[in-house]
Amino acid sequence: MKKSLKYKYRNELEVLPFLLPGFILLLIFIFYPIAKNFYMSLSDYNIFLDKMNKFVGFANYIKALKDVVLWDSFVNTALYAIVTVLPQMVLGLILAIIINTKIKGSFLFRILFYIPVITSWLIVSLIFRYIFESGDAGLINYILLKSGIIPNSISWFSNRWTANAVIWILAVWKGIGWNMIVFLAGLQGIDRSYYEAAEIDGANTVQKVRYITVPLLKPVIFFVMTNLLVGSFNVFTQVYIMTNGAPMGRTQVLLSYMYKVAFTDFNIGYSSALSVIVGLFIFILAMGQMKFMNMGYKESQL
Amino acid sequence: MIKKTLMYIVLILFSITTIIPFMYMVATAFTPDSYIIPYPPILIPAAFYLGNFIAALSSNNFLKYFMNSVYVSSISTLVAIIVSSMSAYAFARFEFRFKEKLFKLYLFSLMIPGLLNIVPQFLFINTIGLVDSYFGLILLYVGAGIAYNTFFLRGFFQSIPREIEESAIIDGASRFTIFTRIIMPLSKPALGTFAIFAFTGFWDEFSSALTIIKSVGKRTLPIAIQLFRQQHGTDWGLIFAATLIALVPIIIFFIVFQKRFIKGDFLSGSVKG
Amino acid sequence: MTLKKVLVGLFALLLVVGLTSCKADPKPVSGKVMFWHTYSEGEEKLFLEEVLPLFTAKYPDIEIESVRMPYDGLKQQIITAYTGNVAPDVMRMDIGWVAEFAKQGILEEVSAFDEFDGLKDNFFAGSLSTNFYDGKYYGLPLNTNTKVAVYSKAVLAELGLTAAPQTWDEMIALARQLKDKDERWGLVPQGFGPWGFLPYFWTLGGNITDDKYTVATGYLNSADSVAAVQQLYDYYKEGLIGPAMFGEQPSAWDGMAGGNYLWIDDGPWYFSIIGQSAIDSTVVSTIPAGKGGSVSVVGGEDLVMFNKTANKDASWIFMQFMMEDQVQKIMAKTGMIPVTKTASSSLTDVPAYVATYIKQLETAQPRTPSANWGSIEQVLSLAIESVFRGEKTPTEALNAAATEIDALLK
Repeated sequence: MKKSLKYKYRNELEVLPFLLPGFILLLIFIFYPIAKNFYMSLSDYNIFLDKMNKFVGFANYIKALKDVVLWDSFVNTALYAIVTVLPQMVLGLILAIIINTKIKGSFLFRILFYIPVITSWLIVSLIFRYIFESGDAGLINYILLKSGIIPNSISWFSNRWTANAVIWILAVWKGIGWNMIVFLAGLQGIDRSYYEAAEIDGANTVQKVRYITVPLLKPVIFFVMTNLLVGSFNVFTQVYIMTNGAPMGRTQVLLSYMYKVAFTDFNIGYSSALSVIVGLFIFILAMGQMKFMNMGYKESQL
Repeated sequence: MIKKTLMYIVLILFSITTIIPFMYMVATAFTPDSYIIPYPPILIPAAFYLGNFIAALSSNNFLKYFMNSVYVSSISTLVAIIVSSMSAYAFARFEFRFKEKLFKLYLFSLMIPGLLNIVPQFLFINTIGLVDSYFGLILLYVGAGIAYNTFFLRGFFQSIPREIEESAIIDGASRFTIFTRIIMPLSKPALGTFAIFAFTGFWDEFSSALTIIKSVGKRTLPIAIQLFRQQHGTDWGLIFAATLIALVPIIIFFIVFQKRFIKGDFLSGSVKG
Repeated sequence: MTLKKVLVGLFALLLVVGLTSCKADPKPVSGKVMFWHTYSEGEEKLFLEEVLPLFTAKYPDIEIESVRMPYDGLKQQIITAYTGNVAPDVMRMDIGWVAEFAKQGILEEVSAFDEFDGLKDNFFAGSLSTNFYDGKYYGLPLNTNTKVAVYSKAVLAELGLTAAPQTWDEMIALARQLKDKDERWGLVPQGFGPWGFLPYFWTLGGNITDDKYTVATGYLNSADSVAAVQQLYDYYKEGLIGPAMFGEQPSAWDGMAGGNYLWIDDGPWYFSIIGQSAIDSTVVSTIPAGKGGSVSVVGGEDLVMFNKTANKDASWIFMQFMMEDQVQKIMAKTGMIPVTKTASSSLTDVPAYVATYIKQLETAQPRTPSANWGSIEQVLSLAIESVFRGEKTPTEALNAAATEIDALLK
C-alpha cells in the first residue's frame, strides 16, 4: 500500500526538491501578499493599524465599475500596451538578428543598445521631457522645424495625444535593448544546422526568420510579450516624471491612479480592488494571447 | 554586401537615437551648479568640469553605499539564479499533477500590480527578525522575483532539444545530474542574460531596500542617489554624475557576462564539438 | 575672537550649566530616540554639527539617532515602518501631512503633555494650527516658510528701476513693458497646484473657504474668486505669464538666471541652495499687493511623535528642545524661519532676505488644514488647469470644485 502510494506520487516526489525552494518563497512573498490584497479589497482597511475598519463585500469592485477617472487611466494604459509592445519586439528582434550574424563591432553595438535599459526611468524620463520641450529650442521641435516637417513648434505636453506619444516613444526607445538581449539569448539557443539545411533548400533571410527563427523562439516570444504586457500595465515612473497626468489628468495611467488612491486618499481597500481587477484583466489577456499564438502550455512542451 | 551595408545603416541609425539623450545627460553631469537642466540642450559640455563627480563620490558614505550595493546585488543574483533555475527546470521538464494549473498560478501572480505587496512582505521579514539585515533584503529580492524568473528561464529551458537529455536518462543519470551537467551548461546564454537582468534590477532597486534596511550605514546606492534629490531644487548635475558612476558596475557586469556566457554559441561549440 | 564674543560664549555656557543643574531631577530621562527628517544636505549638516551637540550636552543620557530619508515614497515608508513597529519615535514632516496622519490614528496627541500649554502661546498661531485635528494637537511646528517676490535685478534695471514695485498694478505695468520683447514674461506662477497658484489667487482677492475651513461653496466660487482667476487667465491670454506655469521651459529658476522673468515667487531655499549668486542678482520684496493685499502661502514642517514610540518622555524632551530659541535660531541660518515668537523677535545673524520672509509671513495664509488636504489639492489643481487650458470658464471650474471640496471638508 505504502509502496503503491509512493509509486502513485513518484513524479511529484521527484520534482519536489526542484520546485519547493522557489514555491515556499512564492507562497510567502507573492501569494500571501496577493491573498491579503484580496482580503483588503473587500473592506475599508486601515493599513497603519493593519486591520479592517469595516467589511464591505464587493462594494469596492462595484465602485470601480462606475469610476470615470479609472476609465480614462485604463484607456491610456491599454493604448500604451497596444502601441509600444509590438514595435519594441519587432525592432528588438531585428537588432538581435543583425547582431547575431556576428557582424563586426556587434559587441559594441550590444553594449550601446543596452545602456538605455540600465539607466533609471527617473533619469531618462527627465531627459525626454527636455528633448520634447515645447519651444523652438526643444531638440525634437528644432529638428522637425529645420527639416520642414512641421511649420510651427509643437507643445508636446499640452495635448493628451502628443503627450502620450512622447510617453510611448520613450517606452520603445528604452525597451528595444531589453528585447534585443532576450532575443539574442534565444537566438543563441537555436541550432545552426536548421539554418544550414534551409540554406541548402534556397531559403532567403525573411523565409528563414519566418519559418525557423520565430517558431523556435515561441516560448521566448511568449515570455517577452507577456512580460511587456504586464510591464505596460505597470507603467508609472515615466508618466509621473514627464507629465504627472498633464494635461488635466488626461495622461494618467492605472498605476498612478492606484498610487493616488492608496497614498493620497489612503483608500487602501479601493486601491486593492483595482489591483485585483487589473490583475485579472491582464491574466485573461495573456491566456488569450497564449491561445492565439497556438502555444498552450502543452504544445510548448513539444 | 548590400545586406551588410543595410545592416550597418540600421545599427548606426539606432546608435544615434540611443546616444543623443545620453550626450545630454553626460554634458549636464560635466556642468557646474545645474539646478536647472541646461536649456536649450547642450550636447557637448563647454568644459569638463569634474566637480559633480567629486562631490558625488565624496558625499557622505557614497563609496560605502556603493560597496553595499555590490554585495547585495551579487549575492541576490547568485541566489536568484539557483532557486529560479531549479523551479524553471521543474516546469520545463517534469510531469506532475496540477503542473499546468500551478504554472498558471505563477503567471497570474505576476499580473497583480504589487503596489501594496511591500507591506505584508515587510511584516513577514519583520516577524522572522530580519529587518535591517541584508539577508532579509536578499530573501525579499529573490522571493518577490521568483514567479517572473521561473517564467523567464522556463522558456529557454524548453527550447533546449530533449534528445540531449534523453540519452543521459538512458545512461541512468539522475535528474540532479542532468540539471547541473546538461541543462545549466546548455543554458549559458539564457543564464548570462538572466544574471544581467537580475543584477541590473537589484542594483537599481530603491523602495524595498529603503523599507528593509533601517541603519543609515547599511543603505544601498540608489538610496544615496535619491538623497541628492531634494524637496526644493535638485542639483541635476550631481544626480547625473552619480548615475553615471552607478552605471559603471552594470556595464562591467554586462560585458563580462555577455563575453563569457552569451557570445559562445554553445550548440555548435560545446555540445557538438 | 573679540572679547564680546568670548563673553557671550561664557554666558551661554553658564546658562546651559545653570539650566542642567537647576533640573536636579532624581532620575534623568534616558534612552534612544530615532528621528526621521528630510533635511537637505546643508540643513542636515547644521543639525548634526550645531544642534545635536547642544542637545547631547544638555541631555547626555538621551541618544538621538538622526536618519535622513529620501522625499520620494516617504508616505509608503511611514506605512511599512509603523505597521512593522519600527517607525521612528519623532519625525519632521510637511505641515500638510499632520492632520492626514492624525486621522489615521498613528500620531501621539501632544496637547496631552503637561508642558504643551506652556509652549502653545509662544507659537505663531498659523503654524500651530497645522497640527490641529479633531480638537487636539498632534505635533509642534518646527520651522515655517513662505514665498516672496524675487525680482531679477537685471530686468528691473532694464526697465529703469532699482527697487521692486509694491503694488500689483505697478507690477503689471512693468510686465506689459516686457511683453513686446522676445522670450520675456512679467510673472510666472509655478504650476496650477495650490502651492504655486494660491499666492496669486489670494493676492487678487480670491478665497477657498470660510475662516473656519468648513465650507468652500460661497467662497471658492464667489464673485471675488471668479474674478481673481479670470484676471489671471486674462494676463495669460495677454501674454504676460511665462511658460513655467505649464511646466515648460524656461523653468522659474532657469528663467531667473537667463533674465526671462521679471520676478518669480519662491521660498528661502532659492537663496540657500543657489547661494550668493542668487542673492546678488535679485531684489527681494513682499508679493505686490493687489485687491486681497499681499498674500502668500505658508509652508514648513512640523515635528510629530508616533504613538507606538517606546520612549515617550525622551521623545517629548527632544521635541521641546527643538523649539528652544537657540535651536530655532541655528536652523534659521539656512532660511528656516522660526515658529516661536521669542526666537523670531530676537533673530540676528541671519541672511538679509530672511527679514522679507518674516514680513510676508504676517499676511501669509495656510493651505486649508484638513485631513483630506491631499485630495483637496488635486481638485484645486484640476480646476485651475481646466481654466488655463481653455476648457472651462472660471465660474464653471470653481463651482464644480467648490462642491467637491465641500464634501472633502465634512
